[in-house]
Formats: sequence, structure tokens, C-alpha cells
Amino acid sequence: MARKAFMIDTSRCTACRSCQVACKQWNKLPADSEINRGSYENPPQLTPHLYNKIEFIETEVNGEFKWLFLNKRCLHCGEAGCLKVCPSTGALFRTEEGLIGFDKDKCIGCNYCVNGCPFDVPRYDADNKITKCHGCLDRVGNGLQPACVKACPTGTLQFGARDKLIAQGKTSGRKLYGEKALSGLGAMYLLDNQPQDYKLADNPSIPTSIFLWKDVIKPLGILGFWGSVGVAMLHYVTVGPKQLDDDTEAKGGE
Amino acid sequence: MGRYVERFSAFDRVVHWTLAVAFLVLVISGLGLFAHTFFGYFSFFGGPEQGILAHKIAGVVFLIASLLLFFAHAKDSCSFDSDDAKWFAAFGGYLSKNEKEIPQGKFNAGQKLFALFSFVAALVLGVTGFIIWDPTAMARGMTQFSLMLHGLFFILIMMGAVVHIYLATIGNPGTVDGMLWGQVKKVWAKKHASKWFKEVAGED
Repeated sequence: MARKAFMIDTSRCTACRSCQVACKQWNKLPADSEINRGSYENPPQLTPHLYNKIEFIETEVNGEFKWLFLNKRCLHCGEAGCLKVCPSTGALFRTEEGLIGFDKDKCIGCNYCVNGCPFDVPRYDADNKITKCHGCLDRVGNGLQPACVKACPTGTLQFGARDKLIAQGKTSGRKLYGEKALSGLGAMYLLDNQPQDYKLADNPSIPTSIFLWKDVIKPLGILGFWGSVGVAMLHYVTVGPKQLDDDTEAKGGE
Repeated sequence: MGRYVERFSAFDRVVHWTLAVAFLVLVISGLGLFAHTFFGYFSFFGGPEQGILAHKIAGVVFLIASLLLFFAHAKDSCSFDSDDAKWFAAFGGYLSKNEKEIPQGKFNAGQKLFALFSFVAALVLGVTGFIIWDPTAMARGMTQFSLMLHGLFFILIMMGAVVHIYLATIGNPGTVDGMLWGQVKKVWAKKHASKWFKEVAGED
């Protein structure tokens, strides 16, 4: 099946946060109790009960105050750090549409995915189980739009065939974020400004330590371990052990 | 005059085998986190969450036992002399049959190196293990780096363990006796640790 993806056209967003509410409704997530921080942005971070949120980025353009609105969520990376490090097969998985879902029953609470993610997305709930945006894979699997996309009144959020969305996005003339990075993000942005203005990495990648750990140390380690066993066995049958010259036991005892 | 000479005290033996059991528990409970192939090993502990708990407990035991064992022998393990240089140059005589033994103290140069390596590895695994105890508690970059180092030193200590077990058992017959019941044969001591044997037995 062709890969599906989100396209998030930031210039259309009015920060109504219908997406946040629709997500909570569909996924039966409770409200987080919060405090007033002097911003409409609320909560300040993704939480175990908040799979997507609008970030209110305050900037100044020609002396005028300006908001940049960014829909934060799991970006369903093509090369996903969370999948790379998850020890429990099936706790995190990729659907045939390319979305990354999770299965709390299989999650072992190791928190590795939190460290494997380049975008600081996965959160753990009170039972120490993973939560994050799963792209409403239950809705998508049944031919529906994700709840946030369905609820978005301005057309900021779109969901569909990834290729088509990219082709459409390129005609808009704005900066397309996430077409190639990490083998292509499953949630891309159309930005008016530079990625760093939205606190997005220019070239997001799997964290270096995580890459070295899983793609270098692990395969070399398996080789190293069996190599050591092989060398020991080879030594025993070629050079042989250092026998004791005067071993009385070998003479049949005293 | 018996045929045996005392090599390891009861304290050494108990600490060594405590360390060995903790190591085994750590390997079995940790492999499930290392690779999908070994995920089933968690069932030895009743499940992944319990396996991770066992890993943490065994980790603390392993670190304490490693420190005790290292410091109990630090005086012997940390002093290298010219005979050790000769030992390293000859690869301990392990490269061919019937090589002449180089006079060595209580521990040969390779054993001293292994003692130092084990000490460093236990420290690194212990410190990184503490950092990843709760992988969300510390700074992200430090946790990621610790996960990597923990994996690296796991591999290194596994390779060290393979060599250690081989050389201390079938590779050098008579060696494991000292760690099992404390005594080794005098012929063993004369061959493998002649300087030490002279010291403790006053014989040549």
C-alpha cells in the first residue's frame, strides 16, 4: 500500500486547537490539569494524555509581534528511532500505511523509545506504558481521516497519499519540511520561515549514540563474542592447554 | 609438606562466585534488552518488568562484588615489572607448545590486565547503569550516551569472560582449583607463578 502521511500547512493554522480536542475525544484521553503560564499554549509539552498540540512560538517581525503555530506530534519517521531501539517486538510497530502505532500490552516500560526519538515525542503513562500519536491507525485502517484532520476547520491538517501531498506541497512555494529526512517523515510541514524558527532541527537524524549502539556496537559485538569463543576453541585444539609436567593424578595417583 | 599451597581465601572465593552468579543473572536478564532474539529470556524471571528489576538488583551486587575483589587484590594486580613486559612480549607463552614460562608473581601479567579491565568495566557498567536506571530521569544526551557505553562494555566484558573462563579452566589445568576450594597444586604454582610460590612456600 502506498505510504500515507500528514501534511501540516502552518500558515493556515489559527491555533483553534480543534485538533487537540478531537484527538482527546477519539482516543478517550482525559484533560491535563494545568496552570496559566501567560500563554494560550497549553499544556507546554506533549503529555501522556496529549498526542498532538499546537505550539505557540512568539516572534517579532519588523517590530511587530507575531505568532508561529506548529502542530507538534509524532512525525511517523520512515527511519524511526523508537522502532530501532524498542526491545519488545510489536510494542511499537508500523502499519501498512506507514504510521507508527503502539501496543501497550506489549510495552515493557523500558523507556528506550523516549531516547531513540529525534523529536522528543514518546511519553509514558501512569502505568509506565508508551503513549504517543498513532495517526488514528484505527480510523485510517477503516478508510476514515485521523480525528485531528477531520476536526481541522482551516485545512492546516491534511492526510492522504504521501506522494500526492508532497506534489501539492511543492506547488505552494513554501518550505517543505520532512520529505527526505529520516527516510521521509510521515508527518511533513509546510513552513513560511526557516525550520529553526519553529524549533525544528534542520537535518533531523537518529541520535548519534543510538546509531552507534544499534548499528555499530551490536553487530560488531555479536561478531566479537563468537570470535572470542572461536579463538579459544582454536587455541585449545592447536596450541593446546598448558599441562602440568608433574601431574601425579595423571600417573594414576600415589 | 603437602602437595597443595593456599591461593585464595574463603572471602575471595565467596566474593568471586557471588560476582559470577550476579554476572550470569545480568547476562540472562540483559540480553532481552539487547536483541529481539533473546527477548524470551525474560520468561526466566516471570516477565520483562521482573527481568529488568532482577537486572538492577544483580547489577548492584555485581558492582559491589567487583569492587571488593579488585581492592582485595589491588596490591598484586596493579604492580607491573620487567617480567611482565617479557610476559606480554611472549603473549604469555600461549602462541606455541612447550614455551618456557616467564617467572610471575601471584598473578601473571595477563591476569593483572584482566583485573584492571574488569574493574574499569564494572565501574563503567555500574555508572551508566545508574544513569539509565530510569531512562527519563537524566539529561537526554547523557542517557543516550550511557545506553551506548553500557552496550559497548557489555560486549567487551562478555569477550573478557570467554577468555577468562577458557584460560582459568581447560586452557590451564589446575587453575580453577584455587577458586573452588582455595588451594592449588605446588606443581601448578611452580609453573605458573614461580616468584609467588617462592614467596609463600620458601621453595624453588
